[in-house]
Amino acid sequence: MTKADPAPSSERAPAVEACPLCVLQVRFPHALRAALLLCWALLVAAVANAANPLGIRWTLSPGGRVGIPRTYEARLPEASAKEARAMFDAGTAIFIDTRDARDYKKDHIPGAVNLPMRDWQRAWSKVSASGELPKEARLLIYCYGRKCGLSTRAGKRLLEEGYRHPIILEYGWTEWNDAGYPTVEHPQGRGR
Amino acid sequence: MSAIRAVPLHRAVLRVIGIAIGATLIWASIDKLHHPDQFADAVHEYDMLPLWLMNAFALAMPGAEVVTGAALVLGVWRRAAGLLSVGLFLAFMVAIAQAQLRGLQIECGCFDVGDMTSSEASWGLFGRDAVYLLASALVWRRG
Repeated sequence: MTKADPAPSSERAPAVEACPLCVLQVRFPHALRAALLLCWALLVAAVANAANPLGIRWTLSPGGRVGIPRTYEARLPEASAKEARAMFDAGTAIFIDTRDARDYKKDHIPGAVNLPMRDWQRAWSKVSASGELPKEARLLIYCYGRKCGLSTRAGKRLLEEGYRHPIILEYGWTEWNDAGYPTVEHPQGRGR
Repeated sequence: MSAIRAVPLHRAVLRVIGIAIGATLIWASIDKLHHPDQFADAVHEYDMLPLWLMNAFALAMPGAEVVTGAALVLGVWRRAAGLLSVGLFLAFMVAIAQAQLRGLQIECGCFDVGDMTSSEASWGLFGRDAVYLLASALVWRRG
């Protein structure tokens, strides 16, 4: 055998088997490269997110909401149904219902303004033209429930529109209704 | 997969297919990279991941799209990028299919993620992604 001759595969095999990465490289070369591309993807994502003023946290803190930019977190607080009820009784907040119009029509918190996120453009042009939402007002925004992201979206949008005090109703319509608090169908509440 | 290997294709055609898929992925990633919060909202609407994972997924997905797209356009590790592309389109198809089967009326979040004005997740988009999936599989297996 000359120097240029490759070693027989039977002689090379033990060296390859001893190195797990080498095994991957030989048996699944595209999978290994795809994994390396994924590492690059995470690096690109991390750099882009860190440099972006609308960047979000990678992980949610307990009770955190999905899709809130880091810079908005302190400006978009949450309220429990009990706190919202206190504001409702004192008349210190305007309630914003971001659910679809058909659900709003079925029942809603008395006095709530319907701003359905799924029909935002049309609803917003109507509401902003009416002037019923002063910029300084405390706006209590709700949607269907905890997992619903429509109220977060509306909150961000209202901050961008220059509103100073949007607040998210933490567990939304579900918690308010389950607590038996006043609704249009039950103006006095359901006594719970 | 053996059927894909048997498809007669000129190498240049595969190259063009790879560039087309790559350009589409890069285009799809741009708005998501600019508005990660809004893409996280779109991911949230699909309601198929645990809450704690949604932000991370919304950040990682456009990163994967842009890197895979760039590799396909530049022809670097093309077959590996084809494999990743298969994974991406498979994920899109699963997301759209589960939303359709559950009757969720949500925006696609495919290209424009702001303002909820992008096209709605539908079986039509599922079909479009299936075509991209097959094309990606060709690049992976034959590239």
